[in-house]
Amino acid sequence: MTPVDLDPRTAPTFPQAALPILRNAQLRKNVAHATDVIQAKRARLVAEKTDWQQLRTAAAAIKDDVLGHLDQYLVEFEERCTATGGHVHWASDAAEARSIAVEILRKEGATEAIKIKTMTSTEIQLNPALEAAGIKAVETDLAELILQLGDDEPSHIVAPALHVNRSQVREIFARRMGLADLTDDPEALTAAARAYLRKKFLSVDAAICGANFLVAETGAVTIVESEGNGRMCLTLPRTLIALSGIEKVVPTFRDLEVMLQVLARSATGERMNPYTSLWTGVTPGDGPQNFHVVLLDNSRSSILARHTERQTLRCIRCAACQNTCPVYRQTGGHAYGSVYGGPIGAILTPQLMHMDHAQSLPFASSLCAACYEVCPVKINIPEVLIELRAQVVDRERKQAARAFDLMYIGMRVANSIFASAWRFRLAQRMGRLALRPFTHKDGWIHALPSLGSRWTMTRDLRRLPDQTFRDWWAARPKDKV
Amino acid sequence: MSGARQQILDRIRRAISGGSAAPYSDLPRNYVRHGNLDEAARLSLMVERLQEYDADVVECTPDDLPACIADRLQSSGKHTFVAPPGLPVEWLAAGFDWKLDHGLTHAEVEACDGVVTACFAGVADSGTIVLHHSASEGRRILTLLPDWHLCVVRTSQIVETLPEYFARCPKPPALATYISGPSATADIEMTRIKGVHGPRFLHVILVHDEGLAEVRNDN
Repeated sequence: MTPVDLDPRTAPTFPQAALPILRNAQLRKNVAHATDVIQAKRARLVAEKTDWQQLRTAAAAIKDDVLGHLDQYLVEFEERCTATGGHVHWASDAAEARSIAVEILRKEGATEAIKIKTMTSTEIQLNPALEAAGIKAVETDLAELILQLGDDEPSHIVAPALHVNRSQVREIFARRMGLADLTDDPEALTAAARAYLRKKFLSVDAAICGANFLVAETGAVTIVESEGNGRMCLTLPRTLIALSGIEKVVPTFRDLEVMLQVLARSATGERMNPYTSLWTGVTPGDGPQNFHVVLLDNSRSSILARHTERQTLRCIRCAACQNTCPVYRQTGGHAYGSVYGGPIGAILTPQLMHMDHAQSLPFASSLCAACYEVCPVKINIPEVLIELRAQVVDRERKQAARAFDLMYIGMRVANSIFASAWRFRLAQRMGRLALRPFTHKDGWIHALPSLGSRWTMTRDLRRLPDQTFRDWWAARPKDKV
Repeated sequence: MSGARQQILDRIRRAISGGSAAPYSDLPRNYVRHGNLDEAARLSLMVERLQEYDADVVECTPDDLPACIADRLQSSGKHTFVAPPGLPVEWLAAGFDWKLDHGLTHAEVEACDGVVTACFAGVADSGTIVLHHSASEGRRILTLLPDWHLCVVRTSQIVETLPEYFARCPKPPALATYISGPSATADIEMTRIKGVHGPRFLHVILVHDEGLAEVRNDN
């Protein structure tokens, strides 16, 4: 397998990364199967909800309220979390967040840390930093464990190993757990993971998690999960670090009545995920007594400042947009060169990079808007994609090399043609003449030279009509109208 | 790191300055808050949802509860059970090895075959059992490490919708666990596998106490 690069600074462009994946029939089959199953479950459970649109509207409004008062809610959260025994840290960027986490674990003398699936930790590349500090990160979510043992990277926000099938999992577990007799029955594979991790849960003294929601009103943190690995990590170790983007806060406990309903249905097609945990600071005698929250900015405040793009921060990481996206369903997540793939990744990743990297991602979309339709917090992803495309092009246009780029020359010429009626008419006439030698007897153009071949490589072009609409209009019998 | 705090808050304040947002109290909330099922339909929906999760459900009257618990424990074939310190003594059926949790170690809880608890609420719409980890619901690890969980749910605790549960919490809980079926994963080819790390077996006793005196009034 070719190594997967999810660092947007160094990853290949989307078309470059997608090409080998499109030739990988097994991977495409795995992705198609998984996304089909989740989509069907989601569609069934959304259909039974008579107030689905009202829930979406409420969820979007709650998140917009959060973003509009983010400073107040974060300070409120910090105050309540601290008052109940938690420690709150602020990290401007990935490097700061990594060093805060490493420092806390070092102080505890930790040599291992068990982890609940957190995309934010992959965003800041936490695991390599822990390894460098001599702390072994142990992923406990089944999918993350598969990836960690298989030296692979997540390809989906909710089901990060959906590109791997059961026989591949069997091979990885058999090799890394020393279980030669393991079958590829999912039940047996799950049991193997249970046995492998049980010892870790009971012996490792530090855990790292993300956060689905932070509650400003109470200082509580919420994690939703299915397997129980989350509950293990949240209750057994002495030290717990929750890593959260600053946008994950909600105003009140009661807001969870909306967010939990839309999240489970959108993410896994369940009425509720099997386990939801909520805790507030430190509870004597119950769970970690040394609890830290790391609030991560990492470009989020600059997204907040932009009018059209701000809605990106409403995202609750349900991955419904990935499952429904006709592009993601072909390429899977690795082609996006970021832990955030699919439509949300196409808008979030370049913004997290201040538009300096991942510039091909806003173009990795057909703008069909299926993502907008399923989004539980109504992020108008196509609108943001178009805005980001414009920004990419604006930047490119300023580059000196673009003065000689055929594409840009063509665009400038087209601009001038479309700006004037007579130039447009002249171009039509010239076009008709120029295309005549390439027009086949059957009325179609099958092959064009030079730049035009990029069009005819994949489709035929109908010949230009002898008469334009304007000509016809001018020549029509006047007495009829 | 206080430098980072100020920096981030300054950046946020600059980013949102000039925005005039509607007050929080005006946010649209016209989703379904209150269910419309009668009591019988609400309970049967709860039972149906629990059974969809492969939970085992039996119903009884308050008077029969101790006998019903004893029967469930008997048929589990298990012997050692952990109990939260506030569990009513009449629930601790004779003939079993009970470990009362007055600060048991993880290893001691792990060594138990099962656990018996009360709960805070049930949500019929999603088949969710809500624990607020009071003295009768136990610390969080009690309902996590043992493989077998018997939960007693009074019918008066069952609401139809999730918002109805939130309405019953005028004071938000410091700790809460919402259980919607036993631990499960679909990470391998979307095949649902029951029992990864949490208890693999969830048993529920529904106690019909509607119309009886409220045992606990949290409203």
